Amino acid sequence: MVLSRIRNFSIVAHIDHGKSTLADRLLALTGTMDAKKAVDQVLDSMDLERERGITIKAHTVRLMYRARDGQEYTLNLIDTPGHVDFSYEVSRALAACEGAVLIIDAAQGIEAQTLANFYLASDANLAIIPVVNKIDLPAADVEGTRAQITETLELDGGDALAISAKHGTGVPEVLEAIVARIPPPQGDPDASLKALVFDSFYDSYQGVVVYVRLTDGRVRPGTRILLMSNGRSYDVQQVGVFSPDMRPVEELSAGQVGYITASMKRVADAKVGETITETARPTAVPFPGYRDAKPMVFAGLYSIDDTDYEALRDALEKLRLNDPAFTYEPETSLALGYGFRCGFLGMLHMEIVQERLEREFDLSLIVTAPSVQYKVRTTAGEVLDIDNPSKLPTPDRIEQMDEPYVTSSVLVPTEFMTAIYKLAQEKRGEHRSLEYHGKRVHIRFDFPLAEIVVDFYDRLKSISKGYASFDYELSEFRPSDLVKLDILLNGDPVDALSSIVHRDKAYEKGKALVEKLRAVIPRQLFEVAIQAAIGSRVIARETVKAMGKNVTAKCYGGDITRKRKLLERQKEGKKRMKQVGKVEVPQEAFLSVLKS
Amino acid sequence: MTEGGLTKKRPGSGSADNPFDSFAGSGPADNPYASVLAENPPEADTLGLYVHVPFCTKRCGYCSFNTAPLEEGAMARYLEALHREIDLLGALPWAARVRLATVFVGGGTPSLLAAEDLAAALDGIRARFDVGADAEITVECNPESVTRQKLEGYRAAGVNRLSLGVQSLDDSILPRLGRLHDARGARAAFEAAREAGCANLSVDLMYGLPGLDLDGWTRAVDTVLDWGPDHLSAYGLTLDAGSLWGAAGIEGLPAEQEQIDQYWRLAHAAAAHGLEHYEISNYARPRFRSRHNQIYWHAAEYLAAGPGACGFLGRVRYANVKATPRYCEALADGALPIASAEQLTPRQRLAERLILGLRTADGVPTAWLEPRLDGERDLRRRIETWRAQALLVDTGDRIRLTEAGFLLSDALFVELL
Ligand SMILES: Nc1nc2c(ncn2[C@@H]2O[C@H](COP(=O)(O)OP(=O)(O)OP(=O)(O)O)[C@@H](O)[C@H]2O)c(=O)[nH]1
Ligand code: SF4
Ligand SMILES: [Mg+2]
Repeated sequence: MVLSRIRNFSIVAHIDHGKSTLADRLLALTGTMDAKKAVDQVLDSMDLERERGITIKAHTVRLMYRARDGQEYTLNLIDTPGHVDFSYEVSRALAACEGAVLIIDAAQGIEAQTLANFYLASDANLAIIPVVNKIDLPAADVEGTRAQITETLELDGGDALAISAKHGTGVPEVLEAIVARIPPPQGDPDASLKALVFDSFYDSYQGVVVYVRLTDGRVRPGTRILLMSNGRSYDVQQVGVFSPDMRPVEELSAGQVGYITASMKRVADAKVGETITETARPTAVPFPGYRDAKPMVFAGLYSIDDTDYEALRDALEKLRLNDPAFTYEPETSLALGYGFRCGFLGMLHMEIVQERLEREFDLSLIVTAPSVQYKVRTTAGEVLDIDNPSKLPTPDRIEQMDEPYVTSSVLVPTEFMTAIYKLAQEKRGEHRSLEYHGKRVHIRFDFPLAEIVVDFYDRLKSISKGYASFDYELSEFRPSDLVKLDILLNGDPVDALSSIVHRDKAYEKGKALVEKLRAVIPRQLFEVAIQAAIGSRVIARETVKAMGKNVTAKCYGGDITRKRKLLERQKEGKKRMKQVGKVEVPQEAFLSVLKS
Repeated sequence: MTEGGLTKKRPGSGSADNPFDSFAGSGPADNPYASVLAENPPEADTLGLYVHVPFCTKRCGYCSFNTAPLEEGAMARYLEALHREIDLLGALPWAARVRLATVFVGGGTPSLLAAEDLAAALDGIRARFDVGADAEITVECNPESVTRQKLEGYRAAGVNRLSLGVQSLDDSILPRLGRLHDARGARAAFEAAREAGCANLSVDLMYGLPGLDLDGWTRAVDTVLDWGPDHLSAYGLTLDAGSLWGAAGIEGLPAEQEQIDQYWRLAHAAAAHGLEHYEISNYARPRFRSRHNQIYWHAAEYLAAGPGACGFLGRVRYANVKATPRYCEALADGALPIASAEQLTPRQRLAERLILGLRTADGVPTAWLEPRLDGERDLRRRIETWRAQALLVDTGDRIRLTEAGFLLSDALFVELL
């Protein structure tokens, strides 16, 4: 295949600006997907992606396109997720491309992840095609969006294409622009093989399927390949492309994007960023590598039914095969028994993992309050990574505690500035910079990660009527005055409900927390006292009164079955509760800890 | 839930939650349950019989029972079907060896039946079954639909127990409930029953009603107790899913503590009048407990007749088709109108016997329970806890709930499943 007729590109954008919808259109226009069979956002193949209408994982597909110049081009498209939790997927995808289609919703304009993704693409020296989407919407402001592109991105807004991915308007121009504006890959098919692993997944039949972008050389079934970071060799079994399903081909060569299978057992064997070469003729310089996606929030996962522990472990292992960004290790809780401490990229990632465990593996789970990872220097001079409040050493053994900070961008119309600053202050944010872009401002703040992981985004959206957008990146650890906030039920501390909070906010937080717990803990046969405490000092208290009356008077006409079924349904509901000491605590209680 | 493949579900049949009406068969061959009764002979020689009359003049706000407004001609069609059903029941292979110890005609509003129609139905039953000479035969009556004359007719037909649906004596509350009588009418009905010779007379009352305060309740209780009923049933209002109020909600419900106070007020007043609190919602003078209801609470066996009526034979709980027209159609085709049946597992039987038994002041015999707790660590632990909390007492040969336990019984019963 001639390199000059290959184009490799990603579609990037802020959440929901229409990446997957545009991908659908491109698939249909190029005949890759039968338009009649097509469902919306066809690349979002996971059930969860379809249901939530979001992309979680990047998806790769090859399109064959006959351009207006009469030539047939091979277009390798990567659809990427927009949510900040999965932004590492975008960076990986971009590493395999020469260009990026940057979509901007004409009704929303440039948002925080538009900026973040734009910087990623321009730092990687990619050709960027700005595309203004959703021009069919009544609220669409095409010219305004073009002006923003000029002002904020310093691209020529006049070059932006205006399309409706939903209706197909302007989409043929996108294909032409891809051909015209994105440079073809370079590389030497006759040099030794050099391929970048930019994604992978585990398939129970084929083992690990690695997504590769070849910069030099060729690979075909039988090629003996070498993974340069770990020195392991494998025989290639199959090479192929996604169109959109896996389709074997004879060979992949320089400039192309496709997949390789080689009986690898674990996704970790061929990490993202890995360089694949030939064992017989290794390339001289590997790719610089790629830093692992690091979990940002940690939470305990416990099965409600203790007997499901093994099943939970197996499920976590299976899930991790395809999601190396998530980590787990066994832990025990006095309140909850045996479980796992898991690390996630963010709250959405956590929800997704939990949902998949419950749905795909039929488990009923308790997720404890999420926590970030703190660095604790003890008086004995050790430095501990603490991601579980109950593992925090007692205050007398702590010399200093550091908490993770992020640098963040907020993009918001000027009228909401005051509200944003107020929220930032409440969340211990520190202002860094402010730039005006026409009617909008781009504010940078530093925040403690712990303050923004849970409900910050929702709060931001609601105080700005949905107009503010937000992006962040982990930056550094800073010393901080933190305390452990404990929750006691009828006098007994419940380790799974402990959290680490800033001293100035402990009282407020403790009060909010016991109120929240009072609302979610159902009345029991006895009174339940809920207390929040720092050390031995109780700072807030609420009581769940004992149940007064619970009786259905009538067993009518001997319909015992109906009565039994009613009771059985109540019992089903109780299965969602965990017995902590004598108290039955519902699932939600554990999550409410950070949300209060 | 089922054992031995007894519950054969037809494809596309009703959900497990609503087993009723899952069968709309056009002939015996279509109904997978047609042979359930023949195949599951009762274990005991005496049974109860529950007969359901599925009509009311108007539906009460809180009611989720199987009842519908009485339309022209519907009663006659129903009675014809009922006679056929009794014939079919009487023709069951084991029918000849059993004796009916109780017949309970419930509803709906059975007192909408003319005396001669009721007599014909009871005659049909006696023609097909051995009905003991001392059998308890109860009819539920609504005050507005009875007269002394009608009740004399019932008595002549063999009815020896009446249960009068008074519910309230507050003339501002009664219409809100959708009841058609007033306090004076209730009193008149009670007197008519006595005059008609009814020597076993029960009154139904409800507490926890919207607009009912403790004083109002106390007056109602005292008044009714002064009438001198032999038996009193008092039901706390529940907002059932299938009722008008359950769907639309209702305002003015007394606070929980108020409802609890009402419960205790009755318990004390009834005791003072020599009525025994023998079941969660039932009080009786000595020797006037409802024999039919005790069949339920002892998890003993009973037959069912009428739309939506439920029965229990052997280990099988079953229910008739609920919708009256379909019930009639099934019988016109010569089939028993059974819509669902379920064979209880041993564990379910244990749970039911405990739940039902603990509804009564007698509780359950320790000698029966002890061996059954052997493999049930959880259950044993729970019972221990309740005893410690004084929700349950051990009288030596029996365990039973205390009055406080009665009030929380549903929360406890869930744990027995
Ligand atoms: N009116 C209109 N709606 C559009 C258009 N393009 C996409 N949408 C809608 O916008 C929503 C988001 O579209 P997606 O294609 O899933 O967006 P995405 O960028 O892939 O979202 P993430 O993968 O979650 O970041 C869907 O409801 C689409 O139907 C358009 O041109 N016009
Ligand atoms: S009279 Fe009884 S059965 Fe009829 S609607 Fe009222 S409560 Fe229901
Ligand atoms: Mg998408």
